[in-house]
This record gives sequence, C-alpha cells and structure tokens, in this order.
Amino acid sequence: MQPKLKSKVRCTDREVGEVTKVILDPLSREVSHIIVGGNGGPGRQVPMAQVQAVTDDTVQLRAASGDLERFPLLKRDEYVTTKEVEIAHLEDHLHVEPGEVLVPLPELERDVKRRTFFTNFTHAIGALMVMPLAFPVLRYLMKPMYAPFDNRWLRIGNASRIKTEDVGVQFKYKKKVKEAFMPEAEVDKNVWVLKASPAVLEAVYKGKDMDFKDHAGHVVWTNKRDVPYVAYSGKCPHLGCGYKWRNVPKLGRQIFLCPCHLSIYDASGTVLDGPAPRPLDPVPIRVAASGDIEIIDIEYKAGTKAQIRIV
Amino acid sequence: MNGQPNVLEKIIAFVDERVGLKTLQAKMLNEPVPGGSRWAYVFGSVLLFIFIMQAVTGILLMFYYVPSADHAYASTQYIIHEVDYGWFLLSYHFWGSSAMVVMVFAHMSQVFLWGAYKKPREMIWLVGLALFGLVMAFGFTGYLLPWDQRAYWATTVGVEIMDKTPIVGDFIARFLKGGPTPGQMTLSRFFVIHVMILPAALMGLAGLHLFFFRKAGPAGPFRGSSEELKAKTDYFFPRQVWKDMVAMAAVFLTICSLAFIEPVVLLEEATPDPGDYHPEPEWYFLFLFQMLRLKIFAGEFGQFLAGVAIPNAFLLLLAALPFIDRNPERNIFKRPIALVGWLIVMIGILVFTMSAIINREFLD
Repeated sequence: MQPKLKSKVRCTDREVGEVTKVILDPLSREVSHIIVGGNGGPGRQVPMAQVQAVTDDTVQLRAASGDLERFPLLKRDEYVTTKEVEIAHLEDHLHVEPGEVLVPLPELERDVKRRTFFTNFTHAIGALMVMPLAFPVLRYLMKPMYAPFDNRWLRIGNASRIKTEDVGVQFKYKKKVKEAFMPEAEVDKNVWVLKASPAVLEAVYKGKDMDFKDHAGHVVWTNKRDVPYVAYSGKCPHLGCGYKWRNVPKLGRQIFLCPCHLSIYDASGTVLDGPAPRPLDPVPIRVAASGDIEIIDIEYKAGTKAQIRIV
Repeated sequence: MNGQPNVLEKIIAFVDERVGLKTLQAKMLNEPVPGGSRWAYVFGSVLLFIFIMQAVTGILLMFYYVPSADHAYASTQYIIHEVDYGWFLLSYHFWGSSAMVVMVFAHMSQVFLWGAYKKPREMIWLVGLALFGLVMAFGFTGYLLPWDQRAYWATTVGVEIMDKTPIVGDFIARFLKGGPTPGQMTLSRFFVIHVMILPAALMGLAGLHLFFFRKAGPAGPFRGSSEELKAKTDYFFPRQVWKDMVAMAAVFLTICSLAFIEPVVLLEEATPDPGDYHPEPEWYFLFLFQMLRLKIFAGEFGQFLAGVAIPNAFLLLLAALPFIDRNPERNIFKRPIALVGWLIVMIGILVFTMSAIINREFLD
C-alpha cells in the first residue's frame, strides 16, 4: 500500500506531522520517499525503507522522533511535478491521493438502457450511411478496369525488312489509345517478327492452326500453321518487360533475352532458360502480297502458365 | 528583465492560460530516458524529420507537376530544367526517399536488436510495421510519377508481381492500373495514393506510433541494473534532442550533397516499348527483383513464392514476433536465434542486391 498524502506520520514514540508530498521513482514508478512536514517548513525527506507500516491515514516510521533531524530537508528545486513530466502508465501505479474526487452524473444520464440504445442507434445510422455508398464508390473506382478487347488490325511495316530466316526482327509501331477523358494519344509498341523455317514453324504451331478469340470466345482470327511469318507480342510472358533478340557468343547462337529477370527463348519462343512460365506469345498476323504486315495487338497476362488475354 | 512582460510573453501567457501550453511542452520534453540518451535512439526522430521534408518538397513539386500521361514527363522536365532550383527540390525529394528507406531499416534493426518490440511494446512494433509498409508504398507509387521509362517499367513489373496474389491478384492489379495495362488511369491512381492517401495514413499511424510509444515509455538499454539505469537516466530534452538534432543535420547534409552530386536525370518518356532500356526497380527493391531471376522461383508458382508468399510471410513473421518471442530477455547477445536471423536477412538482402548490380554488366 502506498502512503497517502495528508496521512499522519508517527515515529516510534510520537506523531511528528503529516505526509505533505511524495517522491516517485520515474523508472520503477514506485514511491521512493515521503516528505514529512507539519509546521510550514520544507519538510524532511524520508526514504520508504524507513516506513514500517502504512494504513489509510497513518504512516508508521521505524525511527524515533529525535532521529527525524537526520533526514535531509526537501530541496524543491530538484524536482518537477507529475504534471510536467511524461511517465508511462503513471495513473495505474500511483495511489497516493486520499479518497476520490467525484463529479455528479447528470439526472438524465442515469438511465443505462437508453445509453445502450443510443450507442446502437449511432452505429446503425452510420451503417445506413455507409451501405448505400459502398457499392457506388466501388463501381466508381472500377470504371476503367475492364476495357473491351481491341481487335483492330495495325500495319506495322514491310516484310522486305526480314532478310534471314529464324532471326527476330523488331517492328515498332504506333498505337492510338483513347483512355477515359484523355484526348486520343499514340503510344510506341513493338512486336518481334520472324520468317520461320519449317522446323521453327512446327515448334511454334505444333501442327495445329492457332485461334485467337474475343471476349465472348468467338474466333477473330486464325494463324495458319503454314504461313512462315510469326509475330511475338513484345511483352515478356514472365513479368511483362520488353525482351530483345541477341547474339550470345557463350551459347553460340541467337536468342530472345529479357533483361529484367533473364528469361531466354529460342526463335520458336520456347523457354530455354530463366523463370518464364510459358513460351513467347504469337499474335494474329497477316502479310499482304505487297509484303505489308498487319497484326492485332493482343496482350496476355504475364506470369501465368496459360494465356489469359487482357488487351 | 524589468519585470514588465513584453508582447511575446503576453501572447504566450494568453495562449498558455487557455490551452495549457507550458504543461504540454513540459510533458513533451520531460520524458525520462532510462539509462540516458544515446545515438542509437536517433532513428525515429530522423524519420519524422525526413517525412516532414518529403512533405515540404513534395508540396513544392506539385506547384508545377501535372499528373497526366501527356504532361507528367514534360512538367517534370520543366521542374528539372526550367524552374529555379527545381532540380534541387526534385533531387532532394528523390534522395530523401532513399534516406527514408535506409533509416527505416536502421530503426527497425535497432528496435529488433535491442529487443524493444517485446512486452509491453507490441503495439508500437505492429504500428511500426504498418509504417514500414507505407514507406515502401510511397517509394513504389512515387516512382511512377515522372513518367519516364524507368517509372513505367518499374510499375509494370511491380504490378505484375501483385497480380500473382491468389484470387484477388487480378483485381488488385487492375484496380491499381485502372485497366489491363499501365496508362493515364495508373498515373492518376498512383498520384492520388502518393500525395493524399499515403501521407494521411502515414500521419495517422505515425501519430499512433508516437502515442503508443509515450504510453509504454522508452525501453532503454538491454543491459544494466535498475540502479545503474536510474543513475544515468535523463530527460528527452536536452541531451537526446541534441543527439537527434545532430543526426537530422547529418542526414539533411547527406541528402543535399547527394542531390548536388547526383541530381535526378530522367530517361525517355514512358511508353510500352522499352527501347534500349533495361528495366530495373529502385535499389531497395533490387533484392526482390534479383530473387525473381532465380531458377527456383521460375514458373507460375515460383513467382507467387518469391513475389508474394515469401515477402508477406516475412512481414507476418515480423508481426507475430512479439507474440512468438515471449522471453523477456532483451540482450541480443543472449538471443542467438534473433541475432543469426537478423544477420541472415541482412546478408541475404545484401547478396541479392549486389548480384543484381553485377548482373547489370552482363547485360550491357
């Protein structure tokens, strides 16, 4: 039990005054000293070790009244009050005020049932305001997330640029995009086009024509397995970076290399090394008699084993 | 000193009478630091300082910056090349973000090694982890705003990684991008997140962090008897404040110097064709980037493991730490698992970061 302020202080022989102040250890948050005063002076600073017993209104010291003089006088300048210092959980540890300070509960606040009702009512009103907003806000934010697929044919260049079989040639093209409120803008994109040898063609198509579908699952185009031109989407199927056709002397051959996470593909798009989960993605391609190449700018989700079309 | 209060003193007295200013100030400055002030305790204050400077420079950048796909790049170039000292404010903001990450690592390491996350400080630790997440999110979203190639590709890859989260991944990725591919909507979203949502969240959580910290009190050193600690105890002001101030000045000078020596230079404007650019994230995400290159993290499941599962499992482990590690022992030299774990994580991050840097040469 902590000594209370204003408690009477008794020595072994007689009462010597009262507890005028207490001193708190800031780290242990225990009362370390009491200040014993009585006649207006600064009071004597008595350590708690000298306290024999504490009751609600008295503090019994081990010393005799004559020995009280041995304890030092309080030097008030060396202390601050608890109001001027931040000590964690001070209120939980400090019980030196005698009694309690009370504030009357207003007459109208004594009905507990009504309080509960109002608490619940507040929550209900809050929920009623949030609920009709949640869906509109979600829809508001989701507006641009699921754009329809774009199945336009884009002219990307002429096949006469491709001189050698089984060598990746980058075709850069501009794509017009119209995003939300923005004026129509052009972005740079690229595909890698290959004039494939029969062996590579076989590795790409595995003997089957390749269908490309729209949102509803209808076929919009079929790449015939005997057309020697193959166009790969410029987006690495690993995590969507741009890859390059490179000569790697170490391997003694040319390959597609993605600089991001070092996925390596051969001319047929097959993964040779690195973290890619699937081969390069062929896109719809048609080559006119004049050699003009057109593609549909299809993009698949990166990082999945299966092709999931997103553009 | 003639006994008559001057105008300033009268104003202070006026405010004090109404809001208890002096008590408030006393409460803020007079906090006993067990075992006394230390240089090891400066990181929290330094982080607060860096954040305030990021807010100030960020607000200044917004005077000229336009968050639209057709103006973001041009307006950033305008800040760098045309606006007086624009290059400096932008570069300060850029290097400030790196400083923030460094200091977050230092702060978390200090708290971890000192065992200061243990009872009764679990709540401070948890809020701190959320703040760590916010700092990373700040870096990730801010990176896109200049709308150059670096920005575009870091975002492309970063969002693709989030896409690998099971079930909700596709939704999150589309939600952040505002569509199937990065574009204007992505820029708008990242801008709002970067300049409104994250700062508000950070201010709220940092306030909570400090509130919890003051509620629990500083942990103090992990060695020493209570008598020794008591003998060395001093208040937050002035010695700790002085150390904090010196650290802030040092960080300020470092960021300024970096801004002078290595001012921000933009690459080409963002476009879905990377050209000759080899995409790479900011240095503090490099270890994750390098991890994704490993063969064991190949394929759909491998990516999920490296990009989503392992980082989140690590964060969860950190969050659970004060509840798993209930031993009150705080001395790091008596917590071998904690010490070895910390070393492994730090060395791991270092090795992956270094190998990512070495790999650059192989690519060129």
